[in-house]
Amino acid sequence: MYKEVRIFVENKPGKLSRVAETLGNAGIDLLALEIADEGQFGVVKILTADPERARQVLEVAGMTVAFNQVAVIEIEDKPGGLVKLAKAIENAGLNVSDAYGCILERGKRAIFVVKGENLAAIESSAVKAGLKPLDKLE
Amino acid sequence: MVELDDKIGSRFEWMSRGELAEWQSEALAKTVLQAAKSPWYSAVFRKMGIDPASIKSPEDIVKLPFTTKEDLRLSYPTGMLTIDPEDLIRLHTSSGTTGTPTAILHSRADIDCWAELMARCLAMTGANSKDVFQNMSGYGMFTGGLGLHYGAERLGMMVIPAGPGNTARQIKLIRDFHGTCIHATPSYAMHVAERMIQEGDDPKSLGIKRAFLGAEPYTEEMRLKLQELYGFKVFNSYGLSEMNGPGVAFECPEQNGMHVWEDAFLVEIVNPETLEPVAEGEVGELVMTTLRREAMPIIRYRTRDLTCILPGECPCGRVHRRLARMTGRSDDMLIVRGVNVFPSQIEEVIMRHKWIGGNYVIHLTKAEALDQMTVRVELAKGEFDGSIETVRNLRAQLHKELREQVGFNVNIEVLEPGSLPASEGKAKRVIDEREY
Repeated sequence: MYKEVRIFVENKPGKLSRVAETLGNAGIDLLALEIADEGQFGVVKILTADPERARQVLEVAGMTVAFNQVAVIEIEDKPGGLVKLAKAIENAGLNVSDAYGCILERGKRAIFVVKGENLAAIESSAVKAGLKPLDKLE
Repeated sequence: MVELDDKIGSRFEWMSRGELAEWQSEALAKTVLQAAKSPWYSAVFRKMGIDPASIKSPEDIVKLPFTTKEDLRLSYPTGMLTIDPEDLIRLHTSSGTTGTPTAILHSRADIDCWAELMARCLAMTGANSKDVFQNMSGYGMFTGGLGLHYGAERLGMMVIPAGPGNTARQIKLIRDFHGTCIHATPSYAMHVAERMIQEGDDPKSLGIKRAFLGAEPYTEEMRLKLQELYGFKVFNSYGLSEMNGPGVAFECPEQNGMHVWEDAFLVEIVNPETLEPVAEGEVGELVMTTLRREAMPIIRYRTRDLTCILPGECPCGRVHRRLARMTGRSDDMLIVRGVNVFPSQIEEVIMRHKWIGGNYVIHLTKAEALDQMTVRVELAKGEFDGSIETVRNLRAQLHKELREQVGFNVNIEVLEPGSLPASEGKAKRVIDEREY
């Protein structure tokens, strides 16, 4: 299991750059970033190697931050690299409603980030298929 | 020579000042005796050692206590009732009150009197039984709809009870049935005109002769603009549910102040701080006593509306004195889309939500001539669980509760904690950017 960092922001100019600046000044590297938008407000979701520190610096800067549990599963970065994991999840009879992928090392390692329910079951189905759920990213 | 029509009470309309004073003395004495039959006033009179029979003329009114909106709440639902509940024929509750509403109960005689006062207002503007009247005001508990409706029927006008909204249908009905008079809020009348102009139409082509406008404050400039756009004459209307509703005061063709029907309402203007009468012509709080109400007389009601009595006689010849436009309120009540809203009502709902921080702002603007209320709240520290759905659901719940509280849709903005200016002492909660 892994912690995604979520930041509540009003939807107005300058809000994203404030997040980016705060993390950049603290030397925190972003692996992935998503924005969910609800018109007047939104949530910025980030994946970083040090979620605890990211949360701390964002909060010190006055932002509203929460953690969200995600399953991060390492896969190979090659065509068909997702097949093994997708099959394992399928065989376990599980659904994935919210997920994305990102590359850690081009041509070598990638990760598949799953959110929502059944995270533990997805992780154990991955383990059974010989894949590795990560609890650390570097 | 004025032709007297008892159906619409024109004998009251054309009384001399002397006849009016005599009538007021009799009516006030009767009203106080009647009020003493209610549990509320009998207790008040007893406690203050007032003998109801000692009140014989308008000068004696100062011996009586004021009645406030809070008193109406405390006596809810029937504490001020003086007759057998079976003889009641109507209930109205006041729009926009905190928690407990205020209820006004009417007997048949009360509804008759209200219709007469209202018919008299309409007749005063020159309207008659040949007119077709489209009522764009809300029906139901809001007194604007039924009040005008009964008055117009009493006068014999054909009434189109269109109610508010649905602009395209309003325009079609006026055209198809040759509407000559309308009742609306000033902002809605402006909205209809703007909409027609946008569509390449001309509001003048509707052929409306008179508009009865009220329920929200607006300027003389807006009246002139509306008159120019439509080619009709605008008559200002003043009323409040505690004094029936509309039909309390209305403009005559002079369009210079609203004649208040002094045969039905005893008028005082007082300093809202000292509660002493102000000098003639000075602005103060309007205080009214019902003189012709049976089921639920109200004595010295503090309307909280600020106005003054216009000095001098009206060229129209009516002796009922004229109220100037309301210049404001002696409390913090807001009028939004014709609905009375107290900031405390909004606060009451907000404070039920623990996900909201203590700070909030009520922002009033206009969009397409329609009042918009936006409530800005802050997410409380520690209440964010990372899920946008949670915030969305909380906002939806707040939206629903606010709509139930005030009766119209309120925009809600959820801000980050600490984004609203911190409140030190008396916070400025209301930002009113509406232009009238």
